[in-house]
Amino acid sequence: MAPYDDWNRVDDDEEDELQDNSFYDAKRDVILFCIDCSPSMLELRPDPEDESKMTSHLYAALDSAMNLQKRKVITGPNDSFGILLFNTTRRLDKSRTQGSEIKKSMFLYQPIGPLSAPVIQELIQLLHSAQEDPEELRKQFPPTESRVAMGDVFTSCNWVIRDGAPKTATKRVFLITDEDNPHPSSKQLKISAQTTLEDLAQAGVVVEPFFIQTETKPFDVAKFYSSILQTNAFVDDDDSDPSVLSESISISRIEDLLSQMRFREVTKRALFNIPFELAKDFTIGVKGYGLVTEQKKGEYKYFVDLGDRLEVAIVKTGQLDEDRQTEIDKSNIVYGMEVVGAAAPSNDDDTEADSMAAIKVVKAGQRPFYNAEEMRSFRTLGLEPGLKLLGFKPRDTLKFEDNVKHSLFIYPEESSYAGSKRTFTALLKSMIKKKVIGYARGVLRRNSTPTIYAILLQEEDVNEVDPTGFHIIPLPFADDIRSAPIEEGYIASDDLKDKARAWINKTTIKSGYVPDSYPNPALAFHYAQLEASAFREEFNPDAFEDLTEPRVDLIHAKAGKLLKEWKIELANDHSATMVVPVTGSKRKAGGAAESISVVEVKARFEDGSLAKFKVDQLKAFCRSQNLSTSGNKSDLIQRVEDWCKLH
Amino acid sequence: MAVERAGYTVTMFVVDVSKSMGATRTVELPPGPNGEQRFAEMTHLQYALQYVKFKIQDMIYNGRKTDQCGVITFGTEETDNQINTQHGGYESVTEYIPIGTPSAATLRKLDELEPSEVFGDPIDAMIVAVEAQNKHLGNKKTWTRKVFLVTDGEGPIELEDWEATAKKLNELNIALTVVGVDFDDEESGYAQVNKPEFKRVNENFLRTQFCEAVNDSVIGNLDEALQNVSQPDVKTPRSTLMQNVLRIGDVDTRTDEAMEILIKTCKCTSINRPKSFKKFAIRPKTTREEELEQQSMDVDDEKEVTITYAQLKARTEYYVDKSDKKDEEEEEKVKTEEDEETRLEDMEKVEKEELIRGFKYGTSYVPCPEGQFPKLPTKKGIDLIGFIPEKKFRREYSMGEVQYIWGNPDNPTAQCAISSIVQAMYEKGVLAVGRWVTGDGRDPKMGVMSPALFEKVHCLLWVPMPFADDLRKYTFPSLNELRNKKGEIVTEHPYLPTETQLEAMDDFVDAMDLMEAGRDENDNRVEWLDTRDSYNPSFHRLKQAMFHCAVVADLDTNPLPPPHPDLLRYFEPPRKIVKKARGTIDNCIKTFNIKHGNIKLSFGSFIPLFTFALIVPKVVKATRKDGHNHANDDDDEMLLLDRQPSTSKQSHSASQAKIVQKPAGNDSETEDDDDDGEMLIDKAEPVKRPNPLPTPARSLPSLSQTDQDGDESMDVDPQRDPDRLIGRTDPLGDFRSNLERGDVVTKVVEDMSAVIQEVVLAPFASRRSKEMMDCLTELREVCLKEDEIDAWNTFLPEFKRKCIESSPGNKEFWSRVQKVGRSLSLISDKEAKKNGGTSTVSESQALEFLD
Repeated sequence: MAPYDDWNRVDDDEEDELQDNSFYDAKRDVILFCIDCSPSMLELRPDPEDESKMTSHLYAALDSAMNLQKRKVITGPNDSFGILLFNTTRRLDKSRTQGSEIKKSMFLYQPIGPLSAPVIQELIQLLHSAQEDPEELRKQFPPTESRVAMGDVFTSCNWVIRDGAPKTATKRVFLITDEDNPHPSSKQLKISAQTTLEDLAQAGVVVEPFFIQTETKPFDVAKFYSSILQTNAFVDDDDSDPSVLSESISISRIEDLLSQMRFREVTKRALFNIPFELAKDFTIGVKGYGLVTEQKKGEYKYFVDLGDRLEVAIVKTGQLDEDRQTEIDKSNIVYGMEVVGAAAPSNDDDTEADSMAAIKVVKAGQRPFYNAEEMRSFRTLGLEPGLKLLGFKPRDTLKFEDNVKHSLFIYPEESSYAGSKRTFTALLKSMIKKKVIGYARGVLRRNSTPTIYAILLQEEDVNEVDPTGFHIIPLPFADDIRSAPIEEGYIASDDLKDKARAWINKTTIKSGYVPDSYPNPALAFHYAQLEASAFREEFNPDAFEDLTEPRVDLIHAKAGKLLKEWKIELANDHSATMVVPVTGSKRKAGGAAESISVVEVKARFEDGSLAKFKVDQLKAFCRSQNLSTSGNKSDLIQRVEDWCKLH
Repeated sequence: MAVERAGYTVTMFVVDVSKSMGATRTVELPPGPNGEQRFAEMTHLQYALQYVKFKIQDMIYNGRKTDQCGVITFGTEETDNQINTQHGGYESVTEYIPIGTPSAATLRKLDELEPSEVFGDPIDAMIVAVEAQNKHLGNKKTWTRKVFLVTDGEGPIELEDWEATAKKLNELNIALTVVGVDFDDEESGYAQVNKPEFKRVNENFLRTQFCEAVNDSVIGNLDEALQNVSQPDVKTPRSTLMQNVLRIGDVDTRTDEAMEILIKTCKCTSINRPKSFKKFAIRPKTTREEELEQQSMDVDDEKEVTITYAQLKARTEYYVDKSDKKDEEEEEKVKTEEDEETRLEDMEKVEKEELIRGFKYGTSYVPCPEGQFPKLPTKKGIDLIGFIPEKKFRREYSMGEVQYIWGNPDNPTAQCAISSIVQAMYEKGVLAVGRWVTGDGRDPKMGVMSPALFEKVHCLLWVPMPFADDLRKYTFPSLNELRNKKGEIVTEHPYLPTETQLEAMDDFVDAMDLMEAGRDENDNRVEWLDTRDSYNPSFHRLKQAMFHCAVVADLDTNPLPPPHPDLLRYFEPPRKIVKKARGTIDNCIKTFNIKHGNIKLSFGSFIPLFTFALIVPKVVKATRKDGHNHANDDDDEMLLLDRQPSTSKQSHSASQAKIVQKPAGNDSETEDDDDDGEMLIDKAEPVKRPNPLPTPARSLPSLSQTDQDGDESMDVDPQRDPDRLIGRTDPLGDFRSNLERGDVVTKVVEDMSAVIQEVVLAPFASRRSKEMMDCLTELREVCLKEDEIDAWNTFLPEFKRKCIESSPGNKEFWSRVQKVGRSLSLISDKEAKKNGGTSTVSESQALEFLD
């Protein structure tokens, strides 16, 4: 299953065993980039990254689109994209087939369709030539004299999407422009923009604006867009209030365009929509989202070589009665304990002489197995999906180690319980004030296990990066908690601790753990190879940079000396030099006599008399150095010699 | 809790199959679909075998090869044991199942056991068992040896020389458990009525002489033993220590400034998943089989019709569409599940060998025969990245299981190094960031490490953190700040809480504080809710279900008993807290005035409850409505199909128990609260179910019902709501048995009150009037004694009101209460004081209340 689908899954396979996942597969994303080609968008300005180069807003927009496509092509291979440019005189070349005419002054650079390597490469080539010749984009897409009516732009978006997008997909238009007032003098055009946008909304298309502003050309949303985008709000989220402005983005630094797009790259999808009972008769509605989920490499698929092309093989899994080679319908499956292969001799089943499948023979009327519904009730203990508040405790009651799975995020949902938002907000504020966390029992989906959750509040962030709401953290059950297997060990002296603290002081990252600094290197390495292979390019592993590796140069520069001092102190620590078995380890009595120090070992190694050690002594030494203790004495000596050569 | 070495055990079951074990007994079963009491009649032997099978099933479940057992039967008509073969004697003892790792076949073999017509000697059988065990183990001294003796003690015991046997048991360090059918039990106060004198003597011998003489021995009653096996049992396996290294700095080129600490890691939390069930389906009979069956039926009338269930295997098939793709492209985009099915028919099946592995890159494909590209070259170890202030740690980023990181326990230097870092981190209030690679070439994981200072050892705790790729950055509208069309901040809006609302919520949060909501053994107020006391309800319930179906032959006549109450411990907030918070809750309900929308969540549909921006609202409503209607239809059908549990023909096979249906009154009795008028008002949406299987309706859950707490609930046992400890079938029995547990008094009182009210207000309650009066009397007594006075004083006025004012109510019942008078009235302060409690009701109020 592609990783894209994994995003939509809260729980492991077992919990979803009886759940129909086909629903997810049918959902696809469609994004149409709708980019302004006005002279100001084409205007050349110094590249903020590299002052010697010239760039333009259009270039940045196309570059962001390309980068987004490169990501999405891997994570969501079924998604479709398109690029529509407006305010350009470029007309359609005959070679491209297109369903409908689009309005004047608009150019469909990429019709909506699933991505493929050639499509992306074409865009990359365009960007390459624009880099060589900054005027390339102006040549390719010459701007129009006057601005095209925004109403026409929206109508064209509608047509393009209607032609190219699957009906069931989530459809969005990424509108990129730097003009805050396209029609200053015409009320008529403003109204037409509004009505065409409504049409778009009716067709189920959401417009996500990305407004570019510069110091010289500020972007005032209130001038034109705030009133027309209003109508779009009601499809944004089913609980959005039309009287509140939908989120629109003004980007002051063009470099932020891509990161802003990333925020919206994935359609916001709720994993569940359930009641949250604070107390009897005091229930609100919440929606749940997975904000932290492990992103895995997509699993490989199977292909068939048909000579002229590769075709994906469709995988069909069914439950089979092996002896009869018949496939069993899901609704007829019952569940129980494993039974043994051959039937007991007392049963006269001569027909089953060469039976492969294990069978259980019962008398008519007896029912030895559970049905699917019973299985579900065992799993959920008869609880319907929902959260139920158990109470509150101080924040420090949630321990670091009370964790088994990733958290989920909940946000109020008005449509089923009017008043959810104010109640949710009040609860959030009270919990901030009282510095408490909540605890709740929850069954999040129809087939999931009742779980106890800690409810952690998320305060509003100044940077507005983090949404306000609650994180719910599944707590381990007693069954999931393992006790510490080691109960005793050496404790460092205060001197040694102080020496450690000295270098720790120098290697502290004040900002905390910021996930953005650590892109998954294994995943990036995989994607890079996949992309190179798709583009038929050579992959150069040496060019790959792993950003998660420790920055050793910095560590040594800042704390090298202190680390050295700590190491010396450690070596001098008298308790630390001997290889002594710790009490509680399962060594035989008298183990202390077998202990040997590192110094002794090295001395014997130097004069070649390692063989004088007893096997038990060598084993104890190997164990202390994380070396294997298997084999006979000569194996052990060999291993110790190898170790001595390295240390 | 001492960790016993798992496995490496040989358990001998010594089972009495003497004539007396063939006597029948009546065993209570969980109530039937309509709450009628149900009993099964079975032999002592069948009942006792349930225990043995549970024990063996436990071994099968754990799946350890070194967990072995053997079964010795005594009182057998024939004699078949090694000692007899070699030396003679030891008659009527059979080595029934040789020692080995048990399997489902072991259970089946036990099912074939039948009581004999003779008697056998338990001591003889034990000697045979010990001998066989000893022979099997040879010189394996470290193995644990166990003997279970299961007997009714009604056969003659040879009392000569038993001391030698006891001595032998002690010599071999054997743990002996004697489980007696209807043995007296001091703890539960059980004493068998009309116990035959010779049984008393035997029992007495086993208890006071034999078990006394064996160092490691337990003797108990079978009923108790069977109850104990259903107790949730937490097995905490020892975590395996994995070796690794913690690297600080550049250990390759700057060795004197860099450090490698030898460490061991192991799991601190690890999700314990239930074993998966196997899938089965009824195998249709072939014509030939039917003929054969018919023939044998003709020959032998006794011959029974059988049904064969086949265990299923997953099969994966690959199909490919070789047709020209062009014209299909358009349709493919909108394909749905059904389309997929029909499309498969036009496709060609391909063998797995012909397939090439590869990845999708949009519509282009990238072949990759290995199944993966070369992996990122990594080096085993945990690299220290740096330290972060504890305050900056974001708890919600913790995304997986926690690990311990220890300095190598055989290397003091490593331990000191870890200890110094741990102490310094703790002092400074920082956590460490690391990059963990479990083995060369494995994918790295990021995580943070927290210092953990145990009394005698220091270590680090690791939890994985997300990579940039693992975060979904969804945007949500601000909850605190709303803007209007003009972009101005709105301060008053239905989405924003008012001052009054904020105050109400503050009070609510205070009232629901859990820090003193629990009680310890000494009745001190303690924190409530502890993960170490929380059993995974699914895990234990599924395990219980699995054991049950391995042990019984028919789930309709012998359904799964309700879940152990410990599993439901944290399903509801503590009742005392809720009771105390009632005022603030009512205030919140009033102040926040939440209106439940008309769109009820359609739990019935299999489609998860996603709400997509792009679904046109109209369509959504239409589908929901459809789903609802459909579900209703199903339910109607359900009622028609509802059958009495099949009282299948009596059989000769073991483990086949005959059901005795106690007269459940006439059908009216079967009407339960679902039909109660009050309940109908907020009846939850019925749940859509798959088509009923060709099995009786017992398996199907009751219709959705709404219990007193307003929880939608569904359970296979309709007479006992899933979160209740007390059912409507035998409330008094449930009440008493749960009270014995001690720690659930509040919950029991609450449930009892609810059940009494439900039963009294249900139609045809008069038949149970007397029973309910008993319930009331006992409930009051418990409330008075167990400091649940408030519970009684709150319940009674409410109950009175319901009886008198509600429709239909039950005025007649209330007048019975009045007749009893003062002793069933409110509990006054005077009365309360006598019993060490408090009450706000005065004596005169209590007197007046019943007038």
